[in-house]
Amino acid sequence: MRVQKKIIKVCGLKDPDNMRAVGMLRPDMMGFIFHRPSPRDVTDTIGDLPLLDIPASVTRVAVVVDQSLEFCLGIVERFGFGAIQLHGYQTPEFCRTLRKHCLVIKAFALRNALPVDVADYEGCCDYFLFDTAGTAAGGSGMTFNHAVLYNYRGHTPFLVAGGLDHDTSLNILDLPIPYMAGVDLNSRYEITPGIKDPDRVNRTITSIRQPRPHKQGNPLKNLRLQRVNQLPHPDENGYYGEFGGAFIPELLQANVDELKSVYKQYINEEGFKNAFGQLLNDYVGRPTPLYYALRLSELFGCRIYLKREDLCHTGAHKLNNVVGQALLAQKMNKKQIVAETGAGQHGVATATVCAMLGLPCRVFMGEKDTRRQKVNVLRMKMLGAEVIPVTSGSQTLKDATNEAIRYWINHPDDTYYLIGSSIGPHPYPDMVARFQSVISHEIKWQLAEKEGRQDPDYVLACVGGGSNAAGAFFHFIDNGFTRLVGAEAAGKGVNSGHTAATISVGSQGVLHGTKTLLMQNADGQIVEAHSISAGLDYPGIGPMHAWLHHTSRAGFLAITDTEAMEAARMLSLTEGIIPAIESAHALALLNKLSLKETDVVVVNLSGRGDKDMETYSEYYPHYEENKQKQ
Amino acid sequence: MSTKPNDSLLELLHDSREEKLLSVYITAGFPCLEDTMPDMKTLARSGVDFLEIGMPFSDPLADGPVIQQSSTIALQNGMSLGVLFEQLSAFNGIMPAPSLLMGYLNPVLCFGLEAFCQKARAVGISGVILPDLPMREYLESYRKVFQKHRLHFIFLVTPTTPESRIRQIDEVSTAFIYVVGSSSTTGNQHSDHGRETYLKRLLDMNLKTPLVVGFGISNATSLQQAWRYAKGAITGTAYIGRRMKGQSPDKAVSELFHQLGLKPRSTSDRQAQTPEAETTVEAFKPLTSKLYIP
Repeated sequence: MRVQKKIIKVCGLKDPDNMRAVGMLRPDMMGFIFHRPSPRDVTDTIGDLPLLDIPASVTRVAVVVDQSLEFCLGIVERFGFGAIQLHGYQTPEFCRTLRKHCLVIKAFALRNALPVDVADYEGCCDYFLFDTAGTAAGGSGMTFNHAVLYNYRGHTPFLVAGGLDHDTSLNILDLPIPYMAGVDLNSRYEITPGIKDPDRVNRTITSIRQPRPHKQGNPLKNLRLQRVNQLPHPDENGYYGEFGGAFIPELLQANVDELKSVYKQYINEEGFKNAFGQLLNDYVGRPTPLYYALRLSELFGCRIYLKREDLCHTGAHKLNNVVGQALLAQKMNKKQIVAETGAGQHGVATATVCAMLGLPCRVFMGEKDTRRQKVNVLRMKMLGAEVIPVTSGSQTLKDATNEAIRYWINHPDDTYYLIGSSIGPHPYPDMVARFQSVISHEIKWQLAEKEGRQDPDYVLACVGGGSNAAGAFFHFIDNGFTRLVGAEAAGKGVNSGHTAATISVGSQGVLHGTKTLLMQNADGQIVEAHSISAGLDYPGIGPMHAWLHHTSRAGFLAITDTEAMEAARMLSLTEGIIPAIESAHALALLNKLSLKETDVVVVNLSGRGDKDMETYSEYYPHYEENKQKQ
Repeated sequence: MSTKPNDSLLELLHDSREEKLLSVYITAGFPCLEDTMPDMKTLARSGVDFLEIGMPFSDPLADGPVIQQSSTIALQNGMSLGVLFEQLSAFNGIMPAPSLLMGYLNPVLCFGLEAFCQKARAVGISGVILPDLPMREYLESYRKVFQKHRLHFIFLVTPTTPESRIRQIDEVSTAFIYVVGSSSTTGNQHSDHGRETYLKRLLDMNLKTPLVVGFGISNATSLQQAWRYAKGAITGTAYIGRRMKGQSPDKAVSELFHQLGLKPRSTSDRQAQTPEAETTVEAFKPLTSKLYIP
């Protein structure tokens, strides 16, 4: 159940004029504290307060700490309180009795876990209120770890209190948590204890009551769902509609032509397919499970499956493609492999397969990324690969790609360039999509077993260059039924100047051998991408996705760093799976879609979060606190 | 001198005196934004036959570290196609020497292909080199625009280009074929092993289009070798590297000529095209015999 209208409660009022001013803003509830140690206490002054000046639509709440039933009933009777908020040790029986006379809000204090006795109060209160522990009197300005709310199993709507300011309030109300009923505003809105700043209160009330931009309408309403009898193969020159092609210097022409002909020769050859399939099963660990995520499904009120690419060897979908391309490189008698990597996942996958096949491996990696992803650098080195830090340009994935291509230009005869994403000149985007398409192939038969149908209503995947999305979408593109949704990294916001949301802010151009959508300035210079996830900060997108977007076959929504980090926390706490930050972007899409109970949604969980632990722990200081306590 | 600047390149290439040509690549807006014109003038005055003006790009795939860095600096200086065309328009349509624009496709597409060609022609550019615009794409959708504005489009061939493709490139080329001396990015000093055979193979193909060798022309040996088999040679990194070290255009060109084994030459035949020629500048001329004397 999703509580639709959110309750805004302003608590801790004591001054007549201030009370009237706040009342004019018509919050849903106003709270008065009957607790002598509190600086907001009204026990002795309540008789002088103009309670009748508060608009009738506002519920007046008396906040009491361990008071008797007589006391509670007395103030309800004398001052017309519509609700009593109970702090302390009152029993469920107490609540049940009191509830015959007014609304009952039972408050619980917590920090890093929900109190064990919450369930005992189920059915005898109108609301719960979760507040930060150690602040019985309220107003400490401290927040608790809101992620624990994902563990709430009750059916009583609840309010969140404790150090909420404007941004925190809005963020909390965005969390996809059923029975989240509203927020309690107190100390962060005060000029002095008990005196609220009406302007600040007004700003938050207005924002909360405004329809949130991303909740407006259906973001996928323009999707064109039409059955086509064709899988997404480009034409012979590598074009998906107007996107793709092979914009390569003559220096690479012979190489790319050779690759094209070898690829064409082997992709449908039985021997090659068997060798590829065998390695996928025995080495990569396929098929990966399609897991019915029960608790996640409960949160969103639909049927959610996770395609567990995070369980592939090396921890991400990247290996599928690397195995395929490395086999081709062998067929071409290439003596060494060169690759680019952003987060290091593709680099690790390449180093892994090269070690297994006995091929020397060089991985170009932006120097900035080598610092962000130290563990992956160590993994590559342990696997015998040479990691070359790239110091040119922005020192990230795009520059690593430049350097890998330059190396290839300088060593055209013996070197195979193993691209990790569905980008680059034809045939790379097609090849990567084909090798990754094992993902959607498996989803089809796995879903048939579990749901009795092959085609889900939605497939969600994150998109940087777009290899996992290409693989997850592939076999559904022709069905004219499944809504394909890509999550691109908005970074700090689509219009913040720190984004990697190519579809949202990009325009058509040519980079790394392909015509596609790019992030560029007015002069056609490529701009630096930003995302908290190193695997998504590429300033372009694969040509197949540009085409899917252009033809409205797939929808692409931008997910901010914050939304992705929250989604990662949500999955960790609800399903016991720590996702890669990249994959967390796909999970964050769940919160943006209007999903029905009968909808079957497949989220491609492209990678696991081990590599991101440093980023997560820096982002969520609560985890650090926990560690210190232990 | 011809009054039609855009044909001056062809005149040079088809010069009956069998003179060998030298071209130098500069990055526009490097080392300082306003250096484009002084560099062009100095090079022309010093006897460089034609010029390549690099349009800086953020991701220059085919370039080595030196030209990459010059591009980054030029972009930081504020260079863009708009600024470049404005600078070049000060020549009033008459370049100090026939000039080509060289760069990457994306900024050109962003500027607008039609607008780019129109501007280039208007400022007196003879032709364009875009290494990442391959022949197939060029023929299909770009050729008509370049032709309409009477701009030459220069194709590259490399040691890995098969003969059939070289013949096709010869067929569609209008000015010269840019022979990439070795399989490498710019400025890479590969061994000359194999280059001789490669150049000889090209010469023996009896192509209708003159050949000009670039990439890896960094000393007298490589220059003379190029000249033996081709009409001209292009050098870039050697000059840019000197400018990056802070040398003035005059000093850089003087040292470049020395490095290439060339002697100073008079500027008399260039002065007609160099409106603001400064007589104090020391000028150089390649040896008339074109033979390298150590």
